[in-house]
Amino acid sequence: MKFGTFARFVAPSLLLMTLFIAYPLLSVLWQSFHLTQGVFETATVETCSPGFGGQVCTEEVRRIPVLNDKGVPTTKTTFVGLDVYRSVLKPESVAAAFSDTGNGLRDVLNIDFYKALRFTVTFTFITLPLVVGLGLLIALAVNSIAARVRGPVIFVTLLPFIITPVIGALSVRWLFIGDGILTVALERILNRELALFAQGWTIEILILFYRVWHVAPFAFVIFYAGLQTINQDTMEAAVVDGASRFERLRYVVIPHLMPLILFITLIHLMDTYRVFEEIIGFSSQAHVISLQWLTFNYLTPNDAGTRLISSASATSMLTMIGIIILLIPVLRRTWRDHRVGG
Amino acid sequence: MAQVTLQGITKRWGAFTGVSNVNLEIADREFMVFLGPSGCGKTTTMRMIAGLEDPTEGEISIGDRVVNALEPKDRDIAMVFQNYGLYPNLTVYENIRFPLKVRRIDPQTHDDRVHRAAEMVELGDLLHRLPRELSGGQRQRVALARAVVRQPTVFLMDEPLSNLDAKLRVSTRAQLKNLQHELQVTTIYVTHDQIEAMTLAHRVVVMNHGKIQQIGTPTAIYDNPANTFVAGFIGSPAMNLLDGELQGGVFKSDNVAIAGLPADRNGPVTLGFRAEDARVVDADGAQIAAPIYSVELLGDATMVTVRTGGSLTSVKAEKDYRAEIGDGVGIGISPDICHLFDKESGQRVSLAA
Repeated sequence: MKFGTFARFVAPSLLLMTLFIAYPLLSVLWQSFHLTQGVFETATVETCSPGFGGQVCTEEVRRIPVLNDKGVPTTKTTFVGLDVYRSVLKPESVAAAFSDTGNGLRDVLNIDFYKALRFTVTFTFITLPLVVGLGLLIALAVNSIAARVRGPVIFVTLLPFIITPVIGALSVRWLFIGDGILTVALERILNRELALFAQGWTIEILILFYRVWHVAPFAFVIFYAGLQTINQDTMEAAVVDGASRFERLRYVVIPHLMPLILFITLIHLMDTYRVFEEIIGFSSQAHVISLQWLTFNYLTPNDAGTRLISSASATSMLTMIGIIILLIPVLRRTWRDHRVGG
Repeated sequence: MAQVTLQGITKRWGAFTGVSNVNLEIADREFMVFLGPSGCGKTTTMRMIAGLEDPTEGEISIGDRVVNALEPKDRDIAMVFQNYGLYPNLTVYENIRFPLKVRRIDPQTHDDRVHRAAEMVELGDLLHRLPRELSGGQRQRVALARAVVRQPTVFLMDEPLSNLDAKLRVSTRAQLKNLQHELQVTTIYVTHDQIEAMTLAHRVVVMNHGKIQQIGTPTAIYDNPANTFVAGFIGSPAMNLLDGELQGGVFKSDNVAIAGLPADRNGPVTLGFRAEDARVVDADGAQIAAPIYSVELLGDATMVTVRTGGSLTSVKAEKDYRAEIGDGVGIGISPDICHLFDKESGQRVSLAA
């Protein structure tokens, strides 16, 4: 294709991508290095009140916002370098935690950012193998059942994926919270009192369970589609060559599905690293928070009515950096396969 | 010792019968070719021998074991597939080694055996490549090496040459024939290409509609086809088949009159003769006299085709024979090159003398 034609084809999408992706990204990056604050001035104010024998006047020094011509408080944006990142990452507190008087990791995990990072990373790496493994298992199972019942089974299997995340999370929460039916059932079985929402780790298990339940069908559908394109000759050659079921899985099926496994891994890493709905759905803020939730929290006006936009920008950037770090090995592998395959 | 015996093998899918009551004895070290058009049941029969399909009825034995209940891997067979069936993520070396690895054969011997198998099919310097870096012919040789590496008692080959181009097919065919001669392993080979069948086979099984039409050496099925299907399937061109009436030893049809045939049978018959057995002669007094329908130059001969009754009849003339379409021509057919078939059943009724 001529370059001119090519350019005209891609120009509209490039324009939109610049407008809606590149520009906001750069703007967030810019904001994370700047701090916007109201401008205050110190003024001596004389307040007088009527009294016997004349007014009583007092003078005091106050900090008052500077108003512009229209009477709106003015703000000033200043470049603060890495100060915002420092306020989020709190390197001094981390250093203090590992000093002689500190409590080490426990103190670090009390800092909001590290608390969120800890959960986000464990969440990502525990759900990933479970989703890929469960998805593959369901796909293999569905692929081996009779063709007549396959349609309905696929539909039912897909339901968890169709359900809106917040509703799904709420349903799981209601099943387990307080005297939820599953809590009661567990109490009967274990013969002890349970309060699954009273401590962090039980909530975390529920969140993990929920996400795997919610996303495994997606992995299943992708793998199931992949299973349909396995070269039957190769499969039968393996049967005749004497490969067991497991060896066929290992030497024929998994290599064939590898690009799809990488694809699922890629999507899943991006998705789980931005975990958010579960925190809201399970109202777990008191025990478990994620990086996305932290950003959201900074953006919510605090008691003084201010939004910490710079801090939110900084956590967003840190989240993105985290995702990029996670994706690099997967992307490198894909690129290598692509080059060899091409 | 591995003769293969099929007794009353039948395969049905619902109401459809793919293979019907096949009885067959394949001798030890024999090269047996299953030949027939697509859908004739030849591949299904082979897959039942391999254990990839279960027969609905009948018994399959390899050597002196009945193998119906055995898994494919326990039947001591190796198979070569039309689409090669290589493991795309493994190198040529690992592909060939695969059967040894999954069968837990002493790893000490692997390297030696892989190299020997690779040498047999002339793959020596490609061992480190991946299948996608090979040509079709090389891939099929890898599949062959993978089949021979374990020294099975029976080779099954399912149209192994169909995906190769014409030139490569000829050379690989020769290689296959030589390989089987060297290894002396019972081989069952499925093809729809009658030239492959003629060149490779000790014996050929011609199949159609799930039934065996004829079993015999290539010479036997070429010279004495058992019915009109075999006559029309074997040979290039296939045997000319003319429908007509036999009265008192004279066969008559449009433009055709052949005398001197057996006089003991009268009525409608199908008469067959091979293009290379007849001669082009003057139209006067010839057994077939008709205008030329087409003239094809084959190089080693010239094929002259005329219209007789409802069908086309071809005959090979000298390679320097030239004529125009529409010219009158005669075809000389002596009665001793003629094959007679029952018009209804298609079965052979008398042998060519």
